Amino acid sequence: MSASVTNQVAKESFGSKDSKLSLLGFFMALPPILVLGIFIGLPIGLAFFLSIGYTGGLNEVISIIGQDIRGREGKLFTLQAYKDVIADPRFAGDLKTTLIVSSVATVFVLIFSIGIGLLQRLRGGKLSSVLTALSLTPLFIPVVISSWALYTFYGSAGLYRTIFQSFGLDIPQITSTMLAVIIGSIWTSLPFAILMVTSGFQSIPNALIEAAQDAGASLITIIRTVMLPLALIPIIIVATFTSIGVLGSFTIPFFLGPNQPTMFGVEITNFFTAYNRPQQSVVMAFIVFAAASGIAISYIWANFRSAKESGRV
Amino acid sequence: MRKNKLVSVLAATGLAVATLGFTASTSHAAVFQVRLYVSADTNVENLYLKELIPAFEKAFPNYQVDLSSFDLHGKNDALTLAKIIAATKAKKDAGFDVIDAGFVQQLGLSGYLTIPTTMRVPNLVNVPASLIALSKGGVPYRASTVLLAYNSRVVAAPPKTLDELITWIKANPGRFTYNVPSGGGSGYAFAQTVIDKYLTATEINTLVTEINKPLQAKWKTGFDVLKSLNPYTYGKNGTYPSNNAATLSLIANGSIDMGTVWSDQFLSGLKAGTIPSYWKVAQISGPALTGGPAFFGIPKTSRNGVAAQRFVNWVLSPAAQNIIVGGSLNGYPVIPVTLLSEANQGKFAAGTDISTLRPGYLSSNSTDFKNQWALEVPGK
Repeated sequence: MSASVTNQVAKESFGSKDSKLSLLGFFMALPPILVLGIFIGLPIGLAFFLSIGYTGGLNEVISIIGQDIRGREGKLFTLQAYKDVIADPRFAGDLKTTLIVSSVATVFVLIFSIGIGLLQRLRGGKLSSVLTALSLTPLFIPVVISSWALYTFYGSAGLYRTIFQSFGLDIPQITSTMLAVIIGSIWTSLPFAILMVTSGFQSIPNALIEAAQDAGASLITIIRTVMLPLALIPIIIVATFTSIGVLGSFTIPFFLGPNQPTMFGVEITNFFTAYNRPQQSVVMAFIVFAAASGIAISYIWANFRSAKESGRV
Repeated sequence: MRKNKLVSVLAATGLAVATLGFTASTSHAAVFQVRLYVSADTNVENLYLKELIPAFEKAFPNYQVDLSSFDLHGKNDALTLAKIIAATKAKKDAGFDVIDAGFVQQLGLSGYLTIPTTMRVPNLVNVPASLIALSKGGVPYRASTVLLAYNSRVVAAPPKTLDELITWIKANPGRFTYNVPSGGGSGYAFAQTVIDKYLTATEINTLVTEINKPLQAKWKTGFDVLKSLNPYTYGKNGTYPSNNAATLSLIANGSIDMGTVWSDQFLSGLKAGTIPSYWKVAQISGPALTGGPAFFGIPKTSRNGVAAQRFVNWVLSPAAQNIIVGGSLNGYPVIPVTLLSEANQGKFAAGTDISTLRPGYLSSNSTDFKNQWALEVPGK
């Protein structure tokens, strides 16, 4: 009897210690949550209400300054600003450019990173180490500097055209085209992708590859049925991070892209500052946000699957 | 022993700091502060930091000008404008006493500026009335104009009119460009000049002085002409340099033979050697490329309004105008050229009248203009 009582007491005291700890944990998590809430959550909320026509209160000043602001005029909300943006002839072109650049850059980043990752895992040696080291270089160069370098390199008087010119070939310049934006995006996204994918391939046990080899599988079969499935999660993470990163990029398309059509990162900035249309820029931001959320779902799925595999869920 | 020494050293340092602090605070007691907000290019930043402010503080030792709020290329203009309007609405100090930015007219039109009078700013009497009318409650303090820059080794006789210029552009594909109007005033001036060719003088004047949406429909003809230039400008694919500096760098590396530039940036570039010496500038007519004054604005709720007006008055004095004209900026004065020093008078052709510079549209119209240009011209 007394033993069970002491046991109970011990349990209770342990339980209270546990709840104390969780309370402490809650308070330790509170500052970042508050910071996120006040400095990110609140502005997003305000921007959302501006986009559906709430022009009073904290949105009053921006509504005075901005041009072509659509108010809700007594109604619960209005989607007029969204209609304006979608009806703007630039919207379709910008959307197309943004989607094409994001998807093409992501595909190439995946091809390059998987290629280098496989080379390093299956063959190793000097060549693959040099390639990996080289491909990490962009990580240490600020994007502004690298965009400017690409601009001068591919520009009309750049080295790229000069070399061809010296052989009498007048090739068109590729700055101010989507091609330059894609090249720049691949350049900046590659290092992270290679780090992720190579580590994914490295974690595949030798035994699995050797077993497949002993069973007479060809190299292609081994890559297709053993290595790619085992590195699927890092590959999906790379695909989502690259596409979301390129989707919202500003510096690369600003320096290297055409004036029109351009990517949303640049267009949103133009609308916010140069054209003084804050409401329309907010609307575009929410459209980009929706697109990025769609991509993020596959990232969450990958995370969930990896958690399930390791038995955390 | 050692500890004692340390204590005495500490005490001496403390005393010294205290004395310093005391002297500093006593000398600060009589200082009037003027807090500037400037949004412009680096050449204007240099004008303030290296020339105007030191000269003003030398002339008025008990004044101190603070230019900690410099906004390169006006990237935060929208935020600053919001801050000033919000502060004025709440009848609170906005944090700036003198504003030099593109939105001064807009503030003035909405009644957020202290209207300057000749009582506090006596030097206003020298400023042409047309410029003051344009400023909507601001004070014009310097001017510059956009000019046609050309490579004199390639172009022997530069075009004299807009029509001749357009003919030249079409005859020499890929050798002319202007920057995106939203990226900088030099490209904006060319675009507006082409548009203005198809408007009447009254229509242009309306767009310069008041917000007028219906009139903007008349821009269509001009935009069609600009669109037709796409295959003939630099790159030949309907893309344009992103800002003033990008045009200047195309000039510097010989990618183009002709382009529109700010008078002050071009002259500074020539002096610094970044633009080859054989490049020259000329103005065209029918219509002329736009230019016009830059404005000071004093927010209504400024804490140091009187000191601010003293500073503004000094900038309008011949001494300060000489710095603007003769210094690194190579600007245009807002007072009659005859009031300048003889050396600086020589910089202008006889009879130069800054009040006849063709101004750009009012900010709200020009914002719509930039938006329309992006819609109608590039990539088409």
